[in-house]
Amino acid sequence: MRALTLLSFGAILAFASTQLLAAGSIENGKQKAATCFACHGTDGNAVDPQYPRLAGQYNMYLQQALNEYKTGQRDNAIMKGFVAQLSDQDIQDVAAYFSSLPTKLDTVHGHIQGDKD
Amino acid sequence: MTRLQLLGLTVAAAFFATASVHAEGDKAAGRKLIYTCNGCHGVPGYANAYPNYPVPRIAGQNEQYIVNALHEYKAGDRKHPTMMAQAQSLSDQDIQDIAAYLSSLAK
Repeated sequence: MRALTLLSFGAILAFASTQLLAAGSIENGKQKAATCFACHGTDGNAVDPQYPRLAGQYNMYLQQALNEYKTGQRDNAIMKGFVAQLSDQDIQDVAAYFSSLPTKLDTVHGHIQGDKD
Repeated sequence: MTRLQLLGLTVAAAFFATASVHAEGDKAAGRKLIYTCNGCHGVPGYANAYPNYPVPRIAGQNEQYIVNALHEYKAGDRKHPTMMAQAQSLSDQDIQDIAAYLSSLAK
């Protein structure tokens, strides 16, 4: 019984995350991301080190960051101007696009002192 | 004379401030310092619960962006309770070291 409860809880979680990820369109995001390329690179890997790499960053983190720029919780003069023009759907699409690109990013797992290279 | 000395002091202070910002980070030191980061940034797809926040991939991120982010957390300009606390425990040199190491991990 407990296993069944756990299983259904897992199923709900899986469903919930599918919903979140399914919301963005990579194809539409590619069109809408054209403005981003000047700073963040055409492949989502910014050349100027003051700008972050977006390629392969987590979808949910990119959405979170864009929403924070929009509300002003994260305060950046450059990003503020751009996100003001983005709808919730635009944010989901752009995040879907950049997160789908080949990445140079990784978690720090395996990179800390004592780990193998 | 006093005015001239003040000017000299200001110029010297500005010079040192700039010099410290551009100080080279030590990758080996950074590798040790990021031990704490592993708890959240080492878990693929991890979202921490309070507050609910998706944790980004930071290995391979660009150097100056990491430096800026950590200084913003330290100053409270960028707000996330855990990251603000972590950044406040770091010196400017620590931040340089961490950024130098993490940016060197680009795949």
